[in-house]
Amino acid sequence: MKLLTHNLLSSHVRGVGPRGFPLRLQATEVRINPVEFNPDFVARMIPKLHLVEVPKGPIEGYEHDEKFLRQMHHVLLEVDVLEGTLQCPESGRLFPISRGIPNMLLSDEETET
Amino acid sequence: FGQIQARFFIPPGGGANFFIGSWVEYISGKVFFTTCSDLNMLKKLKSAERLFLLIKKQFPLNVSSVSKGKIFNEMQRLVNDDPESWLSAISIWKNLLELDAKEDKLSQRDANPLKRKVEENDIINPKKLKTKQMQELQESRECQLEKQTDEATVEQGDFLTNREKSQEAFQNDAVKAVAAPNQKDLTFRVSCRCSGSVAKTFTAQEVGRVIGIALMKQFGWKADLRNPNLEIFIHLNDIYSVVGIPVFRVPLASRAYIKTAGLRSTIAWAMASLAEIKAGAFVLDPMCGLGTILLEAAKEWPDVYYVGADVSDSQLLGACDNLKAAGLQDKIELLKVSVIELPLPSESVDIIISDIPFGKKKKYSCRLPFFVRVLRVGGTIVLLLSEDHHRRLQDCERGGIPWNSKGSHTDEPGIEKCLNPGEKTDLSDTVSSSAETSGQGDLDKMPPFGSLVPVDRYGVSLGRTGAFICRYRKSPSSAASRLAAVSRFQSSQGSCTALKAVVSGSR
Repeated sequence: MKLLTHNLLSSHVRGVGPRGFPLRLQATEVRINPVEFNPDFVARMIPKLHLVEVPKGPIEGYEHDEKFLRQMHHVLLEVDVLEGTLQCPESGRLFPISRGIPNMLLSDEETET
Repeated sequence: FGQIQARFFIPPGGGANFFIGSWVEYISGKVFFTTCSDLNMLKKLKSAERLFLLIKKQFPLNVSSVSKGKIFNEMQRLVNDDPESWLSAISIWKNLLELDAKEDKLSQRDANPLKRKVEENDIINPKKLKTKQMQELQESRECQLEKQTDEATVEQGDFLTNREKSQEAFQNDAVKAVAAPNQKDLTFRVSCRCSGSVAKTFTAQEVGRVIGIALMKQFGWKADLRNPNLEIFIHLNDIYSVVGIPVFRVPLASRAYIKTAGLRSTIAWAMASLAEIKAGAFVLDPMCGLGTILLEAAKEWPDVYYVGADVSDSQLLGACDNLKAAGLQDKIELLKVSVIELPLPSESVDIIISDIPFGKKKKYSCRLPFFVRVLRVGGTIVLLLSEDHHRRLQDCERGGIPWNSKGSHTDEPGIEKCLNPGEKTDLSDTVSSSAETSGQGDLDKMPPFGSLVPVDRYGVSLGRTGAFICRYRKSPSSAASRLAAVSRFQSSQGSCTALKAVVSGSR
């Protein structure tokens, strides 16, 4: 699971709503994969992220800031969590990550309908 | 074998734009065209099952009021009337294969294939070869692009039986296949497919036998059923009589980069193509199975964020394997999660492409509204639907009933407007009134996010069954935008600091 994905996941446990984000990540096995740097792609992913209070000023023109884009590229795309857990910050429910795949299946009682 | 409507070939900005050719015609699952492309280009055709070099295409055999003997004569004329056309086609085919084999050898030998290839090509002067090819091709030799049609009268079994039966007839003449430099020494095998009224009068075996004997008499070739140099493919039906040579031994639909295919790759590619994937898009397959659709998409449109979700461990493992085998594990993320509780923000996904599991269970089509929530307004959904599912959706659309209905057609006036674009209806009313018919727990609190506007649909054949590829766009609706604003979760302070920490930590 890449950190880009982690940034987009939230808990759907019943009753949790918007407080189900962000999931607390505890990684027990992480791999750093070199991934070809594509500045355009990274720049396009950034608006999708859930970042709070994007400050004006330094972030404007981020699409052209190669240093920043490379940092984001490394963090979002090159860090791969193979084993670990994601935890719903509100309910405490743990979701295991195994072989890089987070398991977020909820039981019927837990399901937020 | 599958049939795909020609409209996929007219690229919606999609994959076939590398393909240089002029359309000749599209008839009943086959596309006939002329091209100057070499085999490398032709290999890249993604929505075709198979590719044939055309020898003959002409009016269908008239089987109605004529004796069987006369019709056999007609068939023989396919070979005997114009032997030149056969020989030219075969020589073109040989040229294509030789050129391809040379390029293969070159690229295999090279440490730096790109660079060396250019140099070697200069020496061999393939431009000359290509010009010759083009001339031959332009002399009204057409390359035939074929998608196998599924006409119910012919079973795949026929194809195999043809070989077996012909084996009896040609046993005495069969020789081991050798790469024959000389046209005289070619070994061949005839594969025949009959459908329509032709199939009622003849079996594929009979036709194959007649053509085979005619070929032996005309050209002196020997038949070999196990490993022939040349395969001749004949398709006779009510619309045409077509003869061609398969260009590749392995069908185009069989992809080198897909280890285990779920959905057939041609359809997967066609769906991805219809979705109009742009760079930087977030593409989701909420029921990805072995990941075939995502693989085809990622191969063609790589600068995209792909996520596949499934509830099955075995499917996800298979998908994982497939990703690794294709070298696409960095392009596609996998999640074990159910469609009804996608852990993604509302309106965060640009494109959803999915093969909805077939079968009578209505639960699958009823789940559709759940993933509509995560799709952004203006986003595209491309689904493969069984005929059943499709019919149900059509009924819903016509009756103005939202998808969560069990198919009972309530005629409440409010519902009418539910799926119409541009109408500002309060969807929450319609949902509550139709939900009572379903009896399934999930449906009672169906989130009424946005309305899906059907864009177009295409009938496809999956071999024994048919299906529809349906494309939808999510249009805004006042109810949806209100609810979306409420449910799109706000990032907490935590996320930003966490990211900062990782960034600085990784230095």
